[in-house]
Amino acid sequence: MNDETTALDASAPELLLDQHVKYIQALDTKKNDLEYWLTEHLRVNGLYWGATALHILGRPDALDQEQIVEYLVKCQHDNGGFGGHIDHDPHILSTLSAVQILITYDRLDAIQVDKVVDYIASLQNEDGSFSGDSWGETDTRFIFCAINCLSLLKRLEDKRLDLQKTIDYVVRCRNFDGGFGSSPGGESHAAQVYVCVGTLTILSALHHVDADQLGWWLSERQLKNGGLNGRPEKLEDVCYSWWVLSSLSMLKRTHWIDAPKLIRFILEAQDTETGGIADRPGNMPDVFHTVFGIAGLSLLGYPGLVAVDPVYCMPRHVIQRIGLADKH
Amino acid sequence: VTTALLRKSPDYYTIWNVRRIILKEGFLNNADDETTNKIYTGELEFVQENLKLNPKSYWMWNHRRWCLESMSQPRWDRELAMVGKFLEMDARNFHGWDYRRYIIRQLDLKDKEAKDKVLDRAQSEFDFTTTKIHQNFSNYSAWHNRSTLLGKLAEDMSHEEREAIVDNEFDLVKNAIYTDPEDQSAWLYELWLIGREERSISILGSSVISFHPLEIVVAFDETVEMRKPFTVSTRVEHVAIPLEGEWKATGSDSTLGSVWIFQQAPGAVYGPTVEIVIFSDDVCAVRAGSKLPSAVCYELETLNQNLEDISGRLERLVVGQNLMYDVTKRIGPISGPDGTLETQVVHPKHRVTSLTESDTLDGRVALLEREISAVRELVELEPECKWPIQILSTLLSELRKTVSIHSTHAKVIDDECIELQEKLITIDPLRQERYEDRRSQLVFDRETLQIIQDSKRFPEIEYATKQPRNLDLSMRGLTYIPISSYLLHLHTLNLDSNSITSTRFMRNLLNVRRVNLSNNLIERLEGLQHAPSLEFLTLENNMIAKWEDVAAGFVFWGEGKLGRTGGHVKVLLGNNPVVVNEGGEYVLEKRWEDVGEVGVEIQWQSEELRLAEEALLAAEGEGGISSVLMDGSRRVSTTVVEFAGVAH
Repeated sequence: MNDETTALDASAPELLLDQHVKYIQALDTKKNDLEYWLTEHLRVNGLYWGATALHILGRPDALDQEQIVEYLVKCQHDNGGFGGHIDHDPHILSTLSAVQILITYDRLDAIQVDKVVDYIASLQNEDGSFSGDSWGETDTRFIFCAINCLSLLKRLEDKRLDLQKTIDYVVRCRNFDGGFGSSPGGESHAAQVYVCVGTLTILSALHHVDADQLGWWLSERQLKNGGLNGRPEKLEDVCYSWWVLSSLSMLKRTHWIDAPKLIRFILEAQDTETGGIADRPGNMPDVFHTVFGIAGLSLLGYPGLVAVDPVYCMPRHVIQRIGLADKH
Repeated sequence: VTTALLRKSPDYYTIWNVRRIILKEGFLNNADDETTNKIYTGELEFVQENLKLNPKSYWMWNHRRWCLESMSQPRWDRELAMVGKFLEMDARNFHGWDYRRYIIRQLDLKDKEAKDKVLDRAQSEFDFTTTKIHQNFSNYSAWHNRSTLLGKLAEDMSHEEREAIVDNEFDLVKNAIYTDPEDQSAWLYELWLIGREERSISILGSSVISFHPLEIVVAFDETVEMRKPFTVSTRVEHVAIPLEGEWKATGSDSTLGSVWIFQQAPGAVYGPTVEIVIFSDDVCAVRAGSKLPSAVCYELETLNQNLEDISGRLERLVVGQNLMYDVTKRIGPISGPDGTLETQVVHPKHRVTSLTESDTLDGRVALLEREISAVRELVELEPECKWPIQILSTLLSELRKTVSIHSTHAKVIDDECIELQEKLITIDPLRQERYEDRRSQLVFDRETLQIIQDSKRFPEIEYATKQPRNLDLSMRGLTYIPISSYLLHLHTLNLDSNSITSTRFMRNLLNVRRVNLSNNLIERLEGLQHAPSLEFLTLENNMIAKWEDVAAGFVFWGEGKLGRTGGHVKVLLGNNPVVVNEGGEYVLEKRWEDVGEVGVEIQWQSEELRLAEEALLAAEGEGGISSVLMDGSRRVSTTVVEFAGVAH
């Protein structure tokens, strides 16, 4: 639990804990909304976002864990990968989300772990990158999904992997400003910085990052209103509270942004009627921004929240339980 | 069906997959060229139509790539034009820029043999970024793309051509920063053009810290990882005999650190001189871009075993440029691990810009001075704008690398950089702590000049021949200790009234007796286990709230050097929340203002003493011991520090 006394702005709104819990619980019931169907392909990801948010809020039992485990099992394909929903094609993004949920619930026994490893190994390319699925799209996000997932499953030593090539590939994605892009030559973007720094952290290769230079670029994401953007000249967005902050945390420079101002920004983006958090104050909430807002608050030391791990975006006690916490 | 679905839900990725399968196994199967072409063209139109509504959908751009990669004759020129239009609509759409780079890669692949075509293409892409930048100087995406192309263009150029193209870049940047000094893209591009001198690792020095068993310390100026253990040997009649032992870094992660300690295996002996050889590959810096330029050898005298005398006087023998310097006690050069002599290295080139080099420092100095004077103008024109100030500070730090650390020029630069950071703290409070950290680095460097000196291998540094015993860093506004290995030889350190939050730097203070950390921001003690000589630590007026946070500093006592020698440390905790919070056994009732000193004396037992106590208990039972030897628990009363037991 966070019991640090982070200086809070006394006029900032409160964290609407109970309302967020209700918001997340209600998500699966809105079957009459078009939005529900339009986001079907994100269902597994959505469950990870919801479950993680609830754990950080200290209400892990607010969703039916058994039901979720049963559902996830149905999403696993023969080749080991998980789709975004039942009968959706396997993809590395949903595979990671599924594994994260199962480990948080300590229910890895419900699925075929070896096959998951087979699936991920099959997605590594010659140049060390990973594709998102058999159709071949490559992106540093997928590298992180692969390394993150294999790390959680304790299968990074699999002989089919060439991790040095992966590190080399990530280093090729490093740019003139010290940041990282989606592929070699891709513009620096906070989400890509998170996945690249996360990958290098897990693979103990952080020496390839100039922490002072990248810390500088990341700290410049904070705007006058306290919110963080994802790259220069862009608008602030609550989800960057996670991507930027966790990167700064891995680089041991979280204090390079103004915490009370960011906390205030996140809290103002809450929806006081329905619960949930939006991308910025005044907009409609969604579960994606809810989890990253709450995770950001936890990293900032907001009182009463469960500590979150900056690399895995899962409760820190879960990462400790599986023995990965000392690595960083 | 898939068309209708995808129109409504373009991110329904499974449907894109299904569509492609239907196309591959159905319509495209056994189709003739004309039909195939029609189908793909239709797909491209479908994507283009939907991209207009969803220009940021990964799945759309993927499908487009799939079409082009599957077609026999993709029209890449059309693609370039198409993406150009998208970048007109939104010049920062990274999907568009990524796609553009993808098209260029595909075209370059086809022209692998025709290098001039590839170069032409790079030039035209470069010109495209020029257009975009002139449309809007804040187009970060365009500056970024430009940075990926410049190197390619300059690859085969002559030195003069490179200088010309780089000068051109500086002109463009100046244009941008004078037009809008608040915009970060041009500034970051400028910094990238100027580049950073890759600093090599400096080995500060080496000395003996114990003779029985033999213990040697090697100090670096930054955190390094040991790839291969440094060779330690003793010379007996001109023959080098390796000594067995273990190298460990200080700190809880003993595989990483700036200070490394060698402890000889128990029972082993050594001769009158001990030699340590560190090859460049033995060490890998944690900081990107820095390495040990060549092998180093230290020779240590062991005949004089008066540590008081030795510590602070460091013998060293340096292998400069991989050539052995002849010294009275050495015979012959060092062989590399594979038996060969390290070959002479050509004098390294100095960086002028990130694309140009020179044999001397003059070019670099001239460039930096030119840019510094341009940036200074902007600082004067826009005194409330943080970018010119930050960049000026960075450029000055680069200039400092070209001069001796004890020169007047260095001092002037240091003073100005510190002022600049202080200005930044006032005009950009959101990032205050970053500037405070940078200021701490600069202040620390300035205040420790007496501890170091330029090494023969400029710009490396080493410990000064005469090491100070005391250092006063009180009231300097320090937020942390940047290079704790500098402080290795100190006996007393005064850090009163700073903003320090962690005590981890103390792991490298092997000789310190007294440390004053009063009036700081410490919440928890860490890393004290390697301070074997620590006697007195004052933490008055910090933020320590619980006893565990005090004990945490000593928890690994047994693993560090302290555990072997036994420790006796007096810690003052007046005016910390723990004084109020802790009750029960530790009656810390009154605040220090009322009663003066409220102290906690931590007494730790060495292993010997503990065993002696056990033996006593076993032999004579509880009654047999008139005084119990304490092992770290303590009692405190309001004014008197009491502990039951015999002082060790």
